[in-house]
Amino acid sequence: MQSMKERIERLLLKVQKPARYIGGEVGSIIKDKSKVDVRFAFCFPDTYDVGMSHLGMKILYGLKNQRENWWCERCFMPETDFEALLRENNIPLYALESLDPLSEFDFVGFTLQYELSYNNVLEMLDLAGIPVLAAERDDSMPIVIGGGPCVCNPEPLADFFDIFIIGEGEEVNIELLELYENMKHNGCTKLEFLKEAVKIEGIYVPQFYDVSYNEDGTVKAITPNIENAPAKVRKRVIADFDNVYYPDAFVVPFTQIVHDRAVVEVLRGCIRGCRFCQAGFIYRPFREKSIETIKNETKCLCEQTGYEEVSLSSLSTSDHTKINELLSSLVDYTDGEKINLALPSLRVDTFSDELLEKIASVRKSGLTFAPEAGTQKLRDVINKNLTEDEILRTCKTAFEGGYATVKLYFMLGLPEETFDDVAGIAELAQKVVDLYFEVPKQMRGKGLQVSISTATFVPKPFTPFEFEPQDTPEQILEKQAHLLRNVTSKKIRVSTHMQKNSILEAVLARGDRRLGKVIYTAWKKGCYLDGWDEHFKFDKWMEAFEECGTDTAFYANRRRSYDEVFPWSHLDYLVSHEFFVRENKKAHAIQTTRNCKEGCSGCGIKKEYGGVYCGAKHNT
Amino acid sequence: MAQNITPKLSTLQIEKFDYRAVYAKCGRARYISHLDFMRSMQRIIKRSKLPVWHTQGFNPHVYLMFPLALPLGTDSRVEIMDFALTQKLDNETVRKQLDEKCPEGIEIISVAQPVHKHTDIKSADYEIRFTSNIGAGECIRRFGEFMQLEKIEIEKRTKKKTVNLVDIKPYINVTEINEQDGWVVLKLCLPCGNDFNLNTNVVLDAFCERYGIEIEQICTQRTKILLGNGENFT
Ligand code: SF4
Repeated sequence: MQSMKERIERLLLKVQKPARYIGGEVGSIIKDKSKVDVRFAFCFPDTYDVGMSHLGMKILYGLKNQRENWWCERCFMPETDFEALLRENNIPLYALESLDPLSEFDFVGFTLQYELSYNNVLEMLDLAGIPVLAAERDDSMPIVIGGGPCVCNPEPLADFFDIFIIGEGEEVNIELLELYENMKHNGCTKLEFLKEAVKIEGIYVPQFYDVSYNEDGTVKAITPNIENAPAKVRKRVIADFDNVYYPDAFVVPFTQIVHDRAVVEVLRGCIRGCRFCQAGFIYRPFREKSIETIKNETKCLCEQTGYEEVSLSSLSTSDHTKINELLSSLVDYTDGEKINLALPSLRVDTFSDELLEKIASVRKSGLTFAPEAGTQKLRDVINKNLTEDEILRTCKTAFEGGYATVKLYFMLGLPEETFDDVAGIAELAQKVVDLYFEVPKQMRGKGLQVSISTATFVPKPFTPFEFEPQDTPEQILEKQAHLLRNVTSKKIRVSTHMQKNSILEAVLARGDRRLGKVIYTAWKKGCYLDGWDEHFKFDKWMEAFEECGTDTAFYANRRRSYDEVFPWSHLDYLVSHEFFVRENKKAHAIQTTRNCKEGCSGCGIKKEYGGVYCGAKHNT
Repeated sequence: MAQNITPKLSTLQIEKFDYRAVYAKCGRARYISHLDFMRSMQRIIKRSKLPVWHTQGFNPHVYLMFPLALPLGTDSRVEIMDFALTQKLDNETVRKQLDEKCPEGIEIISVAQPVHKHTDIKSADYEIRFTSNIGAGECIRRFGEFMQLEKIEIEKRTKKKTVNLVDIKPYINVTEINEQDGWVVLKLCLPCGNDFNLNTNVVLDAFCERYGIEIEQICTQRTKILLGNGENFT
């Protein structure tokens, strides 16, 4: 019998970038399996290059491996060339540390970051020889867990998972694995374990809930069918964010990945409440780390990894209450060590000239703005607090400093959007072009390029727009055409997002349990790696919808009433339903809402969750 | 404010001490491409905390030179890498400090001061062990036949994207071929360095294609890097 390693190695020279499939990276953790009680395979349902860039995985990997008798390993979706070889040679999908098949683990955990990765979960389970349907897995099979932002509506995936973890994972993962370790020693069954697990806050076991439907197809009620399961599952939040676990080591890949650098999380949550943005609501409240903590974590990670670049991660780094002080002190360290400090989510309106000068390593790669909407009216509707003035002012400074590339990101299909708003996108871009030509020739850079990139708006659960219909494909096409008609300058380039992806995203994001059948059918038809344009098979998906008698418009294009029971109504992300209703009404009345720093707007989060601005008086 | 800004372009001349390391790349590290390997080595050096010398200029980076690329899939214990420090340190100390930070499959075997120039490298020795769909004995007989050919022409892409035919026969130097436990063991000396590079897989592909042979398992190792006079490059 050949070992797994030998069997894998025989295939490696036949595939692209084989170093992704054999582990052994610096920072990967190897344990003696005979001394381990709980084995957890952390799976990212996308390729190594994408998954290895993901911060959540790095945190939970380090966290679980802190326990001597627990072993957390990594697993990714293989590229199609390697997958074909695995299937041909009957090699089950394995984890990168031990090279053991996933079926030998106690837990197989997936992080669900985007809807179009759902089918990769099925493909990976199948590739590992694990039945994809939870009901078909007996006690010899691993417990399949899901976490990440998409589990705020996990219902379309309810058939495939045993447990969903709602909210932030640092504490609840430990509690869950401790419970498992105890119960495993007592020889409990999976069902007994699941019944105990639901007592932990943030643990959602879909099989313990029954869903009934109204005649019009909407959800009637979601009710627990066992005693211990709570009627509402509340998300977990780390209240003491400054002291939360953070890894002192990363796995450093050999091959280049999407974000190949050290990353330090500086804050969680967002103060801004852009009404389309799910992350802005599900990660509330806003909490931050102290400068001391951030500095220590930066230093520690840079030393362990040897990375030449470190980036600060957050939804909006400039909202850190001591941002100037923080950057000054970090730059002192990174400059001394010749490490590049990358600041991906720094808002332009907070750039001070002094700061810019100090961060000598801010790259001259070009300017990026996300106005999201073309007119001030529509930006007020979505509560995006970025004015034309700010954009133009920053562009002017940048042009005078020699920049000549500007990227503008927009959404089409927003609530209250008219053709004038669409034309506004072209007008804004044109103003940027005109501004460039006003800057004296000797100051500005050569070869101006303004690019407009539009995505189709996808309404998401737990946002003020969860009630909104998505524009139909026809409406979007018309708006795209209207935009192109209004762009006259050759200096402006327009690119549009694939419309078909957005339809599927919209359906899955707000779907219910009945979509499990569609997902299964589409997967059987060969749909996976849907996030990759070259693999996305929209026609097969549509066939699956048809065969299951499911109408995409019901999920994507229907306006939902304020009192409808949503498929995710039994999950509690702390922000109140009343707040979302209020925000939705304000959006239609074209009224903005101040951010948390300017004053609390009473979204429903209690002070005890550690939010920097929560608990103060508010008027609504 | 201004006094806090340290000048990027320092006129100060920083002293530079040259080192040459011999390293091993095998096992799991065999699957790292040369480009990825160079980046990994930069990080090893950074982690080692050695006082490395950086290239001077606007965008300083660790000075690191590899005279030869090792093809993905080939093992070696004789690979060369040049770097520099800003202080003179004992060779063994430097070796140890680097080696400690290497992942499985990468090893720093020795560190010394460079003797030869990179352009002095002319050839390398390889040992290739493989099994195929025809038995080892038959394979060896065919290889004998192969080496009797008048010409062994392969297609080579030029920079202008046209395809040239190149006769590689004169460059293939077979030092030994025999059978061990059902495996073919083939030892070759092939040109490498600045003038002309010939990889083992080019030779093997030409051989397999000609006789319709399919290789099942293969282990390739570079065993020596040589000067024009046949001595070891150091
Ligand atoms: S409770 Fe107030 S301050 Fe806290 S997140 Fe909600 S709106 Fe912001």
